[in-house]
Amino acid sequence: MSPWIPVALIVALLVALALAAAPADAATYRIDDSASLPRESTALLGWRSAVPSRYGDDTLQGTIGVALRLDVGAWRGNAGRIYLVLPEQTTAGVRLAWRTQGRLLPGQATPGQRVLVFAGSIATPYLEDRLELDIETGGGDFPGTQPLNFHFEIDVD
Amino acid sequence: MQGRMQKTKAAAGIAAGVILLACALSAQAYTINLSPRSPRTIYLQVGVGAFTGGTYNQGGSPAVNGTINVVSVTVPAAQVGNGTAQAMTTNSTASISLLDNYAFCNLPGQLYVGGFYRSTSSSAGSATATLVASVPANLTNAGGQTLPFSQVRWTSSGNGDSGAQPFPAGAFPAGGTVTIGTIRRNQWAESCHAYSYLNSSVPAAGTYTGRVTYTLSAP
Repeated sequence: MSPWIPVALIVALLVALALAAAPADAATYRIDDSASLPRESTALLGWRSAVPSRYGDDTLQGTIGVALRLDVGAWRGNAGRIYLVLPEQTTAGVRLAWRTQGRLLPGQATPGQRVLVFAGSIATPYLEDRLELDIETGGGDFPGTQPLNFHFEIDVD
Repeated sequence: MQGRMQKTKAAAGIAAGVILLACALSAQAYTINLSPRSPRTIYLQVGVGAFTGGTYNQGGSPAVNGTINVVSVTVPAAQVGNGTAQAMTTNSTASISLLDNYAFCNLPGQLYVGGFYRSTSSSAGSATATLVASVPANLTNAGGQTLPFSQVRWTSSGNGDSGAQPFPAGAFPAGGTVTIGTIRRNQWAESCHAYSYLNSSVPAAGTYTGRVTYTLSAP
């Protein structure tokens, strides 16, 4: 077996790792938000209207707070734009709106949307804010506890 | 020397790969779940009902009202048993919809029948709540004489309504149960029932009474 084959594999691995770990390149990265802490693990949803109308009204709504802590240390010193990404959900008709304490931008999203929450220079290793998430979803087909999936991405200039 | 540097870079690269993998695995350390809170609710009103704080669109909330309303008719002696249906009237004072204060029924000729059904389940059989009336076989007088409940029927309408009523016209059976109608999931449904006595027999003189119980059931 040629000794060059493992060397070539190592070089290829190095190139791949170098590309994956290069935060300063113009690219999109998923941000590690695992240090964030929701106020509760479950957002209890109630009927938006306690009584339905003659024409039907099945909207459920609720609010949950999240102490958000985004690990942006890898891009410190760079300019970037951070987005909240709400992928397609297992629960139909989810609408998300959030209020912040000013570090991030407030906004709203429906499944499949990517909404800007920050634009500027990354000056600190962590970006922190407190989000109040207002959640609405269709209650006409809500079989039980369902996960709310969202995450954050950064576009680095 | 060059070969030794390559080995060092490779080792660093592998270590970096392990660290990156660890970061990727820990990026989802918290989860938020959505769970419906007290999602099932039903409300039924036959005759007068109750909302505390006004109608719903005025900020009111459904409440309990134990009133039992009466629907009655006095048949003139000359017309007893002649087969001409006699319109009945109610002592109910419920003419408006407690949803939005809309003047829906006309008193005293109509009895309000309405309610709502809240549920988050779309499983089979959960699409509607069903309103059933339990009917005794007969109305009776003080002397124990009887009139079959099947002598009472009703029409159904509502001010401003067009199309089918959720609680359509029907007649009571001579004992047993009868389905009055259904309420679709997450909907308010209401009708006004105008009762009449068929007057097709000649019973003994007297006041005949009987009680029908309406029950709304959700799956």
